[in-house]
Amino acid sequence: MILWNRILVGLDDRPRSLNAVRYLAGVLGGSNTCKVCLLAVYVPPSADMHPDPERLEAHDSDRRVALEMCLADAHRLLVEARLPAENVSTELLEILPGKNVGSTIMEYQRNNGYGTVVVGRRNQSKAEEFLFGSVSNTVVHQADDCCVWVVS
Amino acid sequence: MDLKARAEELLGRPIAKLRRFTDTSEFMSLEPGDILELGNGLYLLKGVEYEGRFGLDDEPKHWVKRGVDMATGEPKIIKLVFHEEFDLPIGAIKVRCYRSPAKESRILELVKDRPQFMHGLAVVDSAGNQVRILERIQGHPLNQELDPLKMTHQAYFETMLKGLLVKLVEAFQAIAFLHAHQERHGDIRRDHLFVETGSGQFRWIDFDYNFEFRESPYGLDLFGLGNVLCYVVGRGIPDLHDLKRNRPEVLERLDTGDLSLVIPNRVFNLRKVYPHLPERLNLVLMHFAAASEVFYESVEEILADLLPALDDLPG
Repeated sequence: MILWNRILVGLDDRPRSLNAVRYLAGVLGGSNTCKVCLLAVYVPPSADMHPDPERLEAHDSDRRVALEMCLADAHRLLVEARLPAENVSTELLEILPGKNVGSTIMEYQRNNGYGTVVVGRRNQSKAEEFLFGSVSNTVVHQADDCCVWVVS
Repeated sequence: MDLKARAEELLGRPIAKLRRFTDTSEFMSLEPGDILELGNGLYLLKGVEYEGRFGLDDEPKHWVKRGVDMATGEPKIIKLVFHEEFDLPIGAIKVRCYRSPAKESRILELVKDRPQFMHGLAVVDSAGNQVRILERIQGHPLNQELDPLKMTHQAYFETMLKGLLVKLVEAFQAIAFLHAHQERHGDIRRDHLFVETGSGQFRWIDFDYNFEFRESPYGLDLFGLGNVLCYVVGRGIPDLHDLKRNRPEVLERLDTGDLSLVIPNRVFNLRKVYPHLPERLNLVLMHFAAASEVFYESVEEILADLLPALDDLPG
């Protein structure tokens, strides 16, 4: 069942993605009725790009650590905004095969009944959006049973 | 005939000292007249390939050798392992790009029965390098077929365009096949689409570029397809400089929305340049223009618009 006060926040390892969390902290500060899941989607580095296994492993580890740090920062921001710690969870999820980050976030939303999805938005040009895609666009396009907040 | 004599016969000159290699790591030191032992074959080196990218025509690609299969005498292109990373400029955007022999090897296996692609064999040398032994396509890059045409665009539109687009559709479907297998071409350009002599078959070449795009893994391929489509429809993509010099009256009709979304000196609203082009075909191009609010997200989406637009063309 979809519940509006179950909130899913999509994060990546860019500092800007914490802006969405800061916004959420400002809106929800002190609330004890919302449950927030901070979700970072982990994209393994390509073995094509790092043919040296040691370098691949190092890159893989760096990415995971960066996401874990981001999740920890986001958790701290929400708890400092007086959300009960037990209402804030974190999840590091590996990207689903054949999916992109936005689709992975939305599949998690559907499977776990989150009624609100919060994502940041990068300052990409239109051309960059065309070439590289946009997580927030994917999330907005795939949302059919939830509310989406896009924080830029 | 002994090996040295065979090598001299194929090379067309004497060889002072025959050198045989099973390890291709030091590709800079491999020279014409050297023999590579790869897989079950022997390949005589005859030279290097040269960069075909615009403006870099004279740059030798030392990791890409011209060779010949010593058993059959068939010409081969032998791509050796060269890992490099670089920023590929696309308009004002830079894309981090790298060469992946593993990717090209996978695609060669994937497309070995598909005539829309170059073919070849991926083998591992004695040092573990993934070497690709490619069949040389008899033909020319698409741009070398179309650029020399002397006819007017109206005549091109009436006599050639539909036939070319029918073949281009097949080439686009081939890229869709790659994407369906979670692979991308990586470097879609008009000079990476060969027109085979005789059959006229369009064949994609060079699959070793790769990128790490998380959200739109095929975005760069779609951008490349848009460029190739515009090139074929316009028999060249008009740019602002050319129009200013040769057709200033057209320039007055244009606005920034008519230009390429990514490379804003190229005109994609070709109907303003060539008014005889049908609206539906032009609308496909406009998805790649700056005015577009909706982008294609898959090859199938392009084809869904392009295929019916072919009905509007003469021929």
